[in-house]
Amino acid sequence: MSKPHYDRDHHVKKATGIGDPQCFKGEAGAPKFKVGDKVKIKNLPDIFYTRCQMYTRGAPAVVAALVYESPAAEDEAWDNTESPEWFYSLIFRQKDLWPEYPAAYESDTLETELSERWLESA
Amino acid sequence: MTTSDQNETETGQTLPDLDTSPIGLLEKVRTEGRVWEDLCEQYGVDNPLPPWKVNMDGTCDMLAAEDCALPLLERRWEEDELSDELYADIPFPERQLLALAHSMIKRGIMDEDELASTMKKVGQRLNSC
Amino acid sequence: MAKKDGDHRHEPAPMVDEVSEFEILEVAVRELAIEKGLFSAEDHRRWTEYVHTLGPLPAARLVAKAWLDPEFKKLAVEDGVKASLEVGVDWVKDMPTQFGTPSDYCNLRVLEDTPTLKHVVVCTLCSCYPRPILGQSPEWYRTPNYRRRLVRYPRQVLTEFGLILPSDVEVRVEDSNQKSRFIVLPVRPEGTEGWSEDQLTEIVTRDCLIGVAMPTPGVTANVKLPVHPAVNPVPHH
Repeated sequence: MSKPHYDRDHHVKKATGIGDPQCFKGEAGAPKFKVGDKVKIKNLPDIFYTRCQMYTRGAPAVVAALVYESPAAEDEAWDNTESPEWFYSLIFRQKDLWPEYPAAYESDTLETELSERWLESA
Repeated sequence: MTTSDQNETETGQTLPDLDTSPIGLLEKVRTEGRVWEDLCEQYGVDNPLPPWKVNMDGTCDMLAAEDCALPLLERRWEEDELSDELYADIPFPERQLLALAHSMIKRGIMDEDELASTMKKVGQRLNSC
Repeated sequence: MAKKDGDHRHEPAPMVDEVSEFEILEVAVRELAIEKGLFSAEDHRRWTEYVHTLGPLPAARLVAKAWLDPEFKKLAVEDGVKASLEVGVDWVKDMPTQFGTPSDYCNLRVLEDTPTLKHVVVCTLCSCYPRPILGQSPEWYRTPNYRRRLVRYPRQVLTEFGLILPSDVEVRVEDSNQKSRFIVLPVRPEGTEGWSEDQLTEIVTRDCLIGVAMPTPGVTANVKLPVHPAVNPVPHH
């Protein structure tokens, strides 16, 4: 697609015909976590931009899958694509997110994706 | 919504104040414009969405594309705020359009006067054919 | 146009013969943005033409195929982007950009329901939606009411859609917050034995693919849902 001027020409060239996030495959190095690992979501400062939901901060989760490699949303928002990270699909128990979640439905869960910087071993 | 969380998004961030005060030109559209629901009823049309919606969606996508004049997350957050308050009585997708124009004017992407004169030109053109 | 004998032309569909202020506003916003060089008319036209072609049919067909072919189901769950090719959707090359867009990307995940696991999709941050395979999102999917409440009160919200699930079914909310996009692969309902792919595709509605409904023989339409402002939204910390 032609544009009057591109801020992210490098990204466009890199992703064209390959796809985003596919174009970052192999760039994140060895993943720190594996499927089944118990993790906890860090509460990192994020004054400007993040896609890490407030309700996940500090909560325990289990790694369900390693989904792709990509720059973290927090970096990419500023065109920083230098350090791609592994993205993990995480499963939370609802009652770990919401203390008042009804006990009758204790098996209910929530799944979401976060990049490696947000995770620590639990 | 309470005042304390007014500028907080779902990720807990504080966004710059969105000026939700009414904009004269958009108030005129809001109060005088005929929404698609009403037009459908009058003309016996059952298409649930107006034909211009796909063009508006395209504009939103283009504005959030590489040059990013209006980022998606901010636009959506502002649309939520405005839909809750100023444009609460207008149905979707007219409400989304008013919120888009509102965000663009308040962010200085376009000004009210130039939008008014463009609307005048466009109106003459569309009504002449 | 009057119908003539032996003439297959039909009455023209009724049209709205009036230019509303909203239509004028849409054109003016777009033209002014183009005039200011924020994007080109050509880019807008190409993108709009592409979006115009989208709808929920490919995703419905993907589910029907997965019900009929265990090998395809396996592929769909493992690699949604590859499986999409078989229903005519190329997540990478269909896009006018050839690499996805800031709001779509190219990572479809197909969430497989079982008799004891029910997925339902939301985007609490904005309204991310798998447009290349499901079309534009419905209004309720965009509302704060749905987005803020589904993560916290999923069963209550599902009940509003008419879906009441027993407590031995695990409800799993998928909060679509990054580059993956999601569709639900529901359990094939009873009463569809021997059905063709086309017949099965018809009952996989958009709502079934988001996860707020279950496919049911004879039901081919989505629920009509009144839109309310958020009640009991997720509080901000």
